[in-house]
Amino acid sequence: MTVRLMTSAAAALLVLAAPATARDQINIVGSSTVFPFSTTVAERFGKSTEFKTPIVESTGSGGGLKLFCAGVGVDTPDITNASRRIKPSEVALCAENGVTDIVEAMIGFDGIVFANSIASAQIELTLRDIFLALAKDVPTIDGTTQPNPYVTWDQINPDLPSVRIEVLGPPPTSGTRDAFAELAMEGGCKSFDWVRALKTSDKPVYKSLCHTIREDGAYIEAGENDNLIVQKLKANKDAFGIFGYSFLEQNGDLVQGALINGVAPEFDDIADGNYPIARSLYFYVKKAHVGVVPGIRAFLSEFISEDAWGEDGYLADKGLIPLGQGAQENWADRITGLKLLEM
Amino acid sequence: MKHIAPIRFGRVGVFVNGKITPMADQMLILTQTIRPKWLDRLVIALLAAAACVAILVTAGIVLSLVFETLQFFNKVPVMDFLFGLDWSPQTAIRADQVGAGGSFGAIPLINGTFLISAIAMAVATPLGLTSAVYLSEYATKRTRDWIKPTLEILAGIPTVVYGFFAALTVAPFIRMTGGQFGLEIASESALAAGIVMGIMILPLISSLSGDVINAVPQSLRDASYGLGATHSETIRRVVLPAALPGIAGSLLLAASRAIGETMIVLMAAGMAAKLTANPLEAVTTITVQIVALLTGDQEFDSAKTLSAFALGLLLFALTLCLNVIALGIVRKYREHYD
Amino acid sequence: MINFSKHAGFNLSRRHRAEQRFQWAGRFAILISLAFLVIMLGSIFRDASGVMRQSQIAVAVDLGPEAIDAADIANISFGKILKSAMRARFPDVMKRKDKKRLYNLVSPEASFEIKRQLTNDPALFGRVQTLWLTASDDLDLYLRGKIDTSLPENQRQISDAQIAWIKDLKQAGQIRRVVNWNFLTNGDSREPEIAGILSALVGSLFSLAVCFSLSFPIGIGAAIFLEEFAPTNRITSLIEVNINNLAAVPSIVFGLLGLSIFLGYFGLPRSSPLVGGMVLALMTLPTIIIAARAALKSVPPSFKQAALALGATPVQAVFHHVLPAALPGMLTGAIVGMAQALGETAPLLMIGMVAFIVDVPQSILEPATALPVQIFLWADSPERAFTEKTAAAIIVLLVLLIAMNLSVILLRRKLEQRF
Repeated sequence: MTVRLMTSAAAALLVLAAPATARDQINIVGSSTVFPFSTTVAERFGKSTEFKTPIVESTGSGGGLKLFCAGVGVDTPDITNASRRIKPSEVALCAENGVTDIVEAMIGFDGIVFANSIASAQIELTLRDIFLALAKDVPTIDGTTQPNPYVTWDQINPDLPSVRIEVLGPPPTSGTRDAFAELAMEGGCKSFDWVRALKTSDKPVYKSLCHTIREDGAYIEAGENDNLIVQKLKANKDAFGIFGYSFLEQNGDLVQGALINGVAPEFDDIADGNYPIARSLYFYVKKAHVGVVPGIRAFLSEFISEDAWGEDGYLADKGLIPLGQGAQENWADRITGLKLLEM
Repeated sequence: MKHIAPIRFGRVGVFVNGKITPMADQMLILTQTIRPKWLDRLVIALLAAAACVAILVTAGIVLSLVFETLQFFNKVPVMDFLFGLDWSPQTAIRADQVGAGGSFGAIPLINGTFLISAIAMAVATPLGLTSAVYLSEYATKRTRDWIKPTLEILAGIPTVVYGFFAALTVAPFIRMTGGQFGLEIASESALAAGIVMGIMILPLISSLSGDVINAVPQSLRDASYGLGATHSETIRRVVLPAALPGIAGSLLLAASRAIGETMIVLMAAGMAAKLTANPLEAVTTITVQIVALLTGDQEFDSAKTLSAFALGLLLFALTLCLNVIALGIVRKYREHYD
Repeated sequence: MINFSKHAGFNLSRRHRAEQRFQWAGRFAILISLAFLVIMLGSIFRDASGVMRQSQIAVAVDLGPEAIDAADIANISFGKILKSAMRARFPDVMKRKDKKRLYNLVSPEASFEIKRQLTNDPALFGRVQTLWLTASDDLDLYLRGKIDTSLPENQRQISDAQIAWIKDLKQAGQIRRVVNWNFLTNGDSREPEIAGILSALVGSLFSLAVCFSLSFPIGIGAAIFLEEFAPTNRITSLIEVNINNLAAVPSIVFGLLGLSIFLGYFGLPRSSPLVGGMVLALMTLPTIIIAARAALKSVPPSFKQAALALGATPVQAVFHHVLPAALPGMLTGAIVGMAQALGETAPLLMIGMVAFIVDVPQSILEPATALPVQIFLWADSPERAFTEKTAAAIIVLLVLLIAMNLSVILLRRKLEQRF
């Protein structure tokens, strides 16, 4: 026993004494939404070049940026993925730790779908319907608000089915939720004239009215596993779910996306910007690491090759909606030129 | 009953299994006054060091939580956090709105944590203890040797699997059963998560208690039989009381595991923080919130992310209180046998 | 205690009925637990059945001198060669969309497979060669009847044209299904048809080895100290409460500890099984200590007293007589702790082991992931074919667990006895 204890202690000490060595492998952290795309590129990059396959961690956008902004050096990541844009406070913290030169890359769009089981009828919603179904407080015509009174869909709009409102969606910590609140909820919220006027007069009130989702059980925070939401929709045909487009694409035999403002969540319509709920995906590169950690430049050019993020590239197969032609060229230039982030 | 113990590991030891005789008592005092050799002292020092690792870990945990917790309390008042009845981090979604309103009240989370853990323990304790008793007292050695490790597999199934099982099999089943009695049950319920968690922690109770029951000296049983008690009476009135400290330890460990579990709750009970004692409603636990907050997409210096650290510290303090109470109870009721 | 003067001889049949009920309750409890185990395992095995075999397509690839330059393998575009081979097989496919569907019948890995086969066997150069290449996950799902073709075309993953091509290929004998060893020999991949478990398995083994070699000796040492040598005072009760309390700390908090101490302070490599094992060791320590103490408690004090009476020092008495008797119980604690460590994802998240890692780690310092992480990541992937990979990965994890349990059963059998 004693001997074993001592040997393990000795082993631990030896390991502690080992110096941190230089890294020959790109280290990527960040959003779980960008993760499937980032890993696909990483894998192809590793197979088609002499560089090692980058390590891609799934930490969430916030956690990724925290690691990314911790400082410059081989023990910090080179790239972080984000399902939202970096915030000014994060840029400031980065700068405080010496991470001043950041290259921003927008890689494409992610459609957010509002889906139900194919055992039910496909429905058509307006953003206003969505807002009225899910908001905590709903505005009335005369300029006041009341707690959300709606229990079934047909109370909102007689054309909708007469089933209880039950929506499975992401929790408040999720970027998907943030984007959904901003694009769908706020979009519907603005359709009330007096609320739109509020935007200029009292922005905080406007935002909290438009972004707050009800907490009385009609909206169910279902965690971040979209496959689970799909399975739950299959089991409960009256429920709706909010999740990323790629899961709809893969599960077309189980779920269908609702038409939003008359547009179905289909690849081309999301790409053209006709479908109203789509958000941009990003990654950020630490410029100080380019040239220090081998392969970063090559990785970037793999990412922005036509084969990868092009309209028919392999990222589109994985469900990433490409940027339009012009935007893509613009971003490609900025990325290859390692142009620094401007807020 | 006197046993002659076998030769163990090459060293001869003849033990008298029974009450200590006065003479043995005296010899005990005698040997203890002899100073141990330096090697013995070194061994004891090493053992003490091992025990202190636990203290170091605690210190490390507190240290790694306390810095961010203080930052959090700069943004949200301590009282709002500890006694607030409303947990809804969504209002603090943007930097300019941090701390607006009392949305960081931990009470619903504490409530949810205890509700789900209580359900899990209500499932696991009877099943686990009766399994343990049956396996160590009635089953043949052969059966025990195979069933015990088979049950231990339950402890090793990844929690993701339990999560899917709870969300896709148990929860719809509960919902359907409830529907037949005219009950409106949410598709996410504390009950589904609790039951499945109970199954997961079952082997902790059955295995560890089983070992403890197994180790109760045979002489106690024999004495009870000799007085005319049946097997089950012996177990209930002699064996279980004798094994109580160990059983309590295993129950405590199982409860701890239940409090610390994330995945099952996340997948089956949802994340809505509701202050309710109704097991048919969706609740969430402290652990689930910690994980969600730490892996979320929000800014890392926002009150939202920082609240994860405060929650961690809160949970730490809560379980500490529970453990102190539990230890007191066990000390009070423990019985010394030989 | 039973009041014998009142009960002896009375109500004997009632007491025997109670005895029967008690036994049946025990059997019932075990049956319920086993039933749950069977249900869970049954559903896992049902889902995993598809991983046993994988589909391959025979493609006639032009490796002639006019198509490629044999001297310069590094710069050959195998993707292009593969695409033209597919077009040559179905020459009437004209439209761009259709062409893309055609290319999607084979796995994106296929062009790398051509390259590997060529590097291994340069004799293939020079003419058109028929090579067996991995088919796409959708083709595999279709062949196994997992895609409902009665649905409208836009609701399924495989189009009518693709089905026609597959039927054609099948008739020509150009599709076969082979045993899928890749699952056990490959690392992770974003393409389900070639994704394998090896890197996660090795990562788990490394982490567990580190975890066990730290937590078992420390845990048992701490238990022995607290049970046998520690003076009964406030400090001892503090340690005792403290250990119980550590058992309830959520596992992700241990990850935070690992992040700030092992990575931040000691500067150990991120994502490495060394750090993973250390964090898991801290996490399992309370389980091991509590179980080991219970085991030590259950050793009759007479063992120690007799040894002391014969002149053994306290250390000798404990290590030579108490410890061997307590070992079976300690092993139970260790196995329960290891099972927990084997299935844990959350603490690994903070120290960078929840990651996409293709390469199989060679040492405890190289980046690695672990089995539960792999399961978690696959369960979260959109591609349908990952469902069965997830189930298969769970089976691998369970096999590892059962192997660990078996070795403990054997040990325990050797050591266990009733006093």
